[in-house]
Amino acid sequence: MTQPCSAWFYDGRSAVRRNVEIDVAGGQFHLVEAGQIHGPFAFSRLVYSGRQGNAHVYKHDEIDGWRIGLKGDIPAELAALLPAQNQYGSWIDRLGLGKATIAFGVVSAVAVAIILAAPQWLAPLVPASTEKKLGDALVGDFGGRFCNTEAGKAALTKLSSGLDEDISDLDIEVANIDMVNAVALPGGKIILFNGLLDNAKSADEVAGVLAHEMGHVRERHVMQSLIRQMGLSVLMGGLDGNIGGTLNGLLAMGYSRSAESEADQHAIQALQRADISPLATAGFFERLANMESMDRVEGTPTDGAEQPKTEKSGQTGSAASDAESFNEAETLLGYLSSHPLSKSRKAAFEKSHVKDRDYTPALTQGEWDALREMCANDTDVESGFGFDFGSGEGENGR
Amino acid sequence: MQEHFDKTTPPNPEDSAFEFSGNWGAFGKIALTNILLTIVTLGIYRFWATTRERKYLWSETRFIDDRLEWTGTGLELLIGFVLVILLFIIPLFIIQFVQQALLLQGQEGAAAALTFVMLGLIFYLGGLARYRALRYRLARTYWHGIRGGSNDQGFGYGWSYMWKTAVGYMIFGLLIPWSMMSLWNERWGKMSFGQHQFSAIGDYSDTFKRYLLFYLAPFVFFAGGIMVGITAATIDSPAMAGISIILLVLFFYLGLGLIAMAFYAKFYRVAIDGLSLHKLDFGFSARTKDWFILLLGDAGIWLIAALAVALPAITIIGTSSLLGGFEMPQPGEDPGQLYLALLVPILVFAVIPFMLVGPFIRYRHWRFFITYMQCYGEIDLEELTQSETTTSKHGEGLLDAFDIGAI
Repeated sequence: MTQPCSAWFYDGRSAVRRNVEIDVAGGQFHLVEAGQIHGPFAFSRLVYSGRQGNAHVYKHDEIDGWRIGLKGDIPAELAALLPAQNQYGSWIDRLGLGKATIAFGVVSAVAVAIILAAPQWLAPLVPASTEKKLGDALVGDFGGRFCNTEAGKAALTKLSSGLDEDISDLDIEVANIDMVNAVALPGGKIILFNGLLDNAKSADEVAGVLAHEMGHVRERHVMQSLIRQMGLSVLMGGLDGNIGGTLNGLLAMGYSRSAESEADQHAIQALQRADISPLATAGFFERLANMESMDRVEGTPTDGAEQPKTEKSGQTGSAASDAESFNEAETLLGYLSSHPLSKSRKAAFEKSHVKDRDYTPALTQGEWDALREMCANDTDVESGFGFDFGSGEGENGR
Repeated sequence: MQEHFDKTTPPNPEDSAFEFSGNWGAFGKIALTNILLTIVTLGIYRFWATTRERKYLWSETRFIDDRLEWTGTGLELLIGFVLVILLFIIPLFIIQFVQQALLLQGQEGAAAALTFVMLGLIFYLGGLARYRALRYRLARTYWHGIRGGSNDQGFGYGWSYMWKTAVGYMIFGLLIPWSMMSLWNERWGKMSFGQHQFSAIGDYSDTFKRYLLFYLAPFVFFAGGIMVGITAATIDSPAMAGISIILLVLFFYLGLGLIAMAFYAKFYRVAIDGLSLHKLDFGFSARTKDWFILLLGDAGIWLIAALAVALPAITIIGTSSLLGGFEMPQPGEDPGQLYLALLVPILVFAVIPFMLVGPFIRYRHWRFFITYMQCYGEIDLEELTQSETTTSKHGEGLLDAFDIGAI
């Protein structure tokens, strides 16, 4: 069969544009130019290359730059031999835009659901030894900043064992850093910063914070958030930086919020079992929340120049710089856990208080003093961070 | 009036070697379906979206007697992106972890050294990315069945980029025009089309007067500010002083922006005027005024998108609060599942107009670029043969990661 269909042709070797007629013979064709015949070429080697104005362009999958362009409507007989035209991409063209949209939407929803839920399943699968190694690699000896006195350690052990049935797999330390915060790190590591002890009015307050961090460890939140952060950043990597970042932040925030309330629930139950009053923790949260709002009102926390950088004296005078160091710690350890200081959290602790119950103090006055003074009494402990971290000394790091 | 109009009108399309014949309607259809598919694929489709956009823009661009053809594929761009994730983003994640560990363990020196090395690496890769993207784009651009490319992988350019940029910022940044032009020439000098090598000989000194204008303007403004301050003090009118300060601030930001634009306009004219390929000489005729109109239009597109989101949002919130059904959650209060369920449609609704901004700005910039591109000289089609350069199988992932322009 011969059907004269005219086309333009580039052979891919030179830039000369040739006007040709397509001469079909079975699965092959020749391109007939005045006085010259090109080919044969197999139809199976052709790939659709898109539109150029009103022409459809086909390329050859083995010859670089080889092109034929067919203007206007292609005769049906020829069209049947040519490869399918694509528009959106081969999968979508096969399904059609509507069906493909629905199919992709469903697959994406499932993928998001799996990636959001996966950390909860995956975190317990990480062997404790691996997590321990990760924690050790991250923290090591904390640059010699862990405080250690015999009496202080004994008090800390007493406080911890009251809050958890078996603390043998936990590694609880007080760090000589003037920051009102505590963190749970991979491998059952819990670090209480000395600023927290300085600012606490009683051992009961510290017990609440410690129990909260134990909650993070027991619920495997640390590993979960590490895995989630990696999963989300890969998933959202497909989107534009801005949109992906925003969604990522929103999702991560929602999860850290639910993790915080889980840890709070854990803490409330632990306090109850240990017969420690939850009101102390509630009061502590309130004081911290006030510090934060003060910080917000006073503004410009980034420029430390105007903030009172006093050494800790347990007075509220340095409240703003406490909140500031609190924020900086969050930036440094941002992926671990943040501690939003909200009214509802305080209320949950208050609600668990049983009226007329005779609570016992978490530590005796002597033990509490030993814990509080542990860093001061430890003669060979390093202090602060090398850069300005609200510790009042050191050069400006940020 | 007539004369002014003539000056602003781009050269008669028939006279210019380059012509863009696209229209907003056809492009809009592509942009909208791209957004739809990008959303339902969680962004993965954006590589194919970019390809569809470029295929359209290239195919509506005529050079002398034939249209350009874009042959890059979505898959290539996806592979480039995955490579960057594997080779760059994940190591960066690990380095950050190590850095935190070093800080926590009191090794500030080592942490600082690591930061330095990391920043150096990013700097180097930034230059490499720019080079590779230009190479990729030329290798995927066909005209008359002939493509461009380069056999140079660009690793050397990465070093040049580092040291020339560093030198540019020395001597109080006075050598920046030199480093920009020198890098442009180096980049383009390594590119080819068909069997011909590009030649780029733009002279930075032609742009230096404009640069000095930009460079010195802050000092002039500062002096002006002091004058205004003194005058205001003598007049002793707080209102007058306030107005002067506002005017000065406006003038500072807008004025400096305009002067910077004047420099860039000149830079591109000089750089492209210095570009040639065998017997073809290129030119670029956009003046500061044209750039100003371009960027004003971009701002207009942003404004339209913002209004498209804000107006319905205000109406909805207004009517719901009249009905008393919508209460803003207080800080610290859990907004609950209902709001979370609402969040997704609200986000989608708010995101779509902004997702349209990018494609239309790219469309306008391409049209702008093609409209003011000039070409003189002659080309012998019999003599122009296929490029022998090797082509990479992956797209401009690095550039994507750094979010910078290629040309």
